[in-house]
Amino acid sequence: MKKASTLLAILFCLNGVISAQTDSLQANRYITRATSYGVGHTNILDTYLSPQDYRGIEGRMMRESMKMTKLFNGRVSSQNLFQANVAYTHNQADNNNAFSGLINWNYGLHYQFRVTENLKLLAGGMSDVNFGFIYNLRNSNNPASAKAYINLAASGMAIYRFKIKRYPIAVRYQANIPFVGVMFSPNYGQSYYEIFSLGNHDGIVKLTSFKNQPAIRQQLSVDLPVHYYKVRLSYLCDIQQANVNLIKSHTYSNIFMIGLVKDVYLVRNKKGTPLPDRIRAY
Amino acid sequence: MIKNKRHTSKQILRGILLFIPLLMLSSCIEEIKYNDTPKDNFEALWKTLDEQYCFFDTKHVDWNAIHDKYEKKITPDMSDTGLFEVLGDMLAELQDGHVNLYAAHDVARYWKWYENNPPNFSPDIQKLYLGVNYRIASSIKYCVFQNNIGYIYYESFSDNIGDGNLDEVLNYLAMCDGLIIDVRDNGGGTITNASKLAARFTNEKVLTGYIRHKIGKGHNDFSDPFPIYLEPSKGVRWQKNAVVLTNRHCFSATNDFVNSMRNLPNVTIMGDQTGGGAGLPISSELPNGWSIRFSSSPHYAADMSSIEGSIMPDIAVSMKDDDYIKKIDSIIESAIVFLKK
Repeated sequence: MKKASTLLAILFCLNGVISAQTDSLQANRYITRATSYGVGHTNILDTYLSPQDYRGIEGRMMRESMKMTKLFNGRVSSQNLFQANVAYTHNQADNNNAFSGLINWNYGLHYQFRVTENLKLLAGGMSDVNFGFIYNLRNSNNPASAKAYINLAASGMAIYRFKIKRYPIAVRYQANIPFVGVMFSPNYGQSYYEIFSLGNHDGIVKLTSFKNQPAIRQQLSVDLPVHYYKVRLSYLCDIQQANVNLIKSHTYSNIFMIGLVKDVYLVRNKKGTPLPDRIRAY
Repeated sequence: MIKNKRHTSKQILRGILLFIPLLMLSSCIEEIKYNDTPKDNFEALWKTLDEQYCFFDTKHVDWNAIHDKYEKKITPDMSDTGLFEVLGDMLAELQDGHVNLYAAHDVARYWKWYENNPPNFSPDIQKLYLGVNYRIASSIKYCVFQNNIGYIYYESFSDNIGDGNLDEVLNYLAMCDGLIIDVRDNGGGTITNASKLAARFTNEKVLTGYIRHKIGKGHNDFSDPFPIYLEPSKGVRWQKNAVVLTNRHCFSATNDFVNSMRNLPNVTIMGDQTGGGAGLPISSELPNGWSIRFSSSPHYAADMSSIEGSIMPDIAVSMKDDDYIKKIDSIIESAIVFLKK
């Protein structure tokens, strides 16, 4: 009897805790995190290395987190998007190869418009930071081309939720289009030796815009619930182009990705006090 | 309220859709496409050189006339070997050792700048001077001759040398009365290796030359000259007289090394003139996969004169026929006499 009353008291208290937590839940502490991996085809041109297109396989990892913020009465969401890709490509004659890689980080804010109960449109801007390289396995004095560019990008998103029978599905389309930025590029016939060993940096950082850097990253994804998780299937069309210092470059990637989506609630301790002993892992 | 919201959303949607025409205005960024045919490979090679090669005016080459001359030799059904021969001949018109065409079966090259001249170097005779107890520090062979003159042989600047190696070499030779740096038959390599060695022979920053690069596709679209300075090494530096031995095979990075060394007060250049090669080369390729290499960024002397053709020695010395027979290196002997004065 004593044990039963103790258990009842614990359950009552626990219920109180859960109720208190529910009452204090804040929208800006819900984070949707997704990690995806994919593979696809890429077409790479960099006239600093070769006038030929190099085509081949690309592998890509993407990590994304989205959450609501307190801005504009809680109608603005933030998106943190990190991508890394590596590619192995071949020239038209298939007698030379190139390795390439790019790390891309975006942080953006979107104003959310609820068009209908099921459809949301998001519009906003993103920072777009890129570092990478192309390494041509045959070139002698110009074997590599470094990639470094930073943009401000316009970003739009459409999220549509619907059900097939009782099965909830979320479809999203997102496009990010850089409109102004700066890019590192050697001058037309300039060697990296002249830039880095002799120190001639004149004209190697250029302003970019739609005109000399028409680029777009598009993603179409479907989130399908499976048990406690959601599986994300996505198609990524990444078009990066530039014509800076008369050096033309492009990367056209079509990638199919698969990943997991998790909804996380963020717990904050302002004074750094640890979580209750019974729930913390360390 | 919901109606107003929907209205605003439609306006925003229209705003977003405005990006599409903006994108349409920007076309794909592509390079001109050539097919893998004899004609297209010829045109692709000619165009690449036309836009990026840096010595047309220095060498007084009429590249348009060369196009017309060799275009006639291109036929649709010619073999790869035939095409390679025609393209190789066209490139040879530039008379540039940095211009090559690479195929699986051969490398087209222009080496007449040393093949048509006396070698002024014999590895067999040099071996007699090195003996068998010479030291090797990375890519440098060195020893002390019996008359207390130090001798360094750097065969290729493609082989790297470290600052620790150079400290050891110069410490070992420190007691010598003078030093011979033999770079004969050194066909070049990495410029930073050449600069690293040259930095051991100056106590102050010295202007040694200039570099320019193409900024456009016109034959004379060059950047302003950018000065090249030789900074003194923080390691062991040679303070006595030194002689650099040269021949026609001193090319590219070795030509650059000789250009740096001739600006230093305690250094004398001796032997034959260098082979030149003052254009920093870059690589490209043709639609059929053949690789090409050509001069892209010209280097100049400290007085902005061209060093593409050659650098003349301070003291011209040739290998004498009699000395060849007697297994005597006339140029090393002259350097020893010079340093012993």
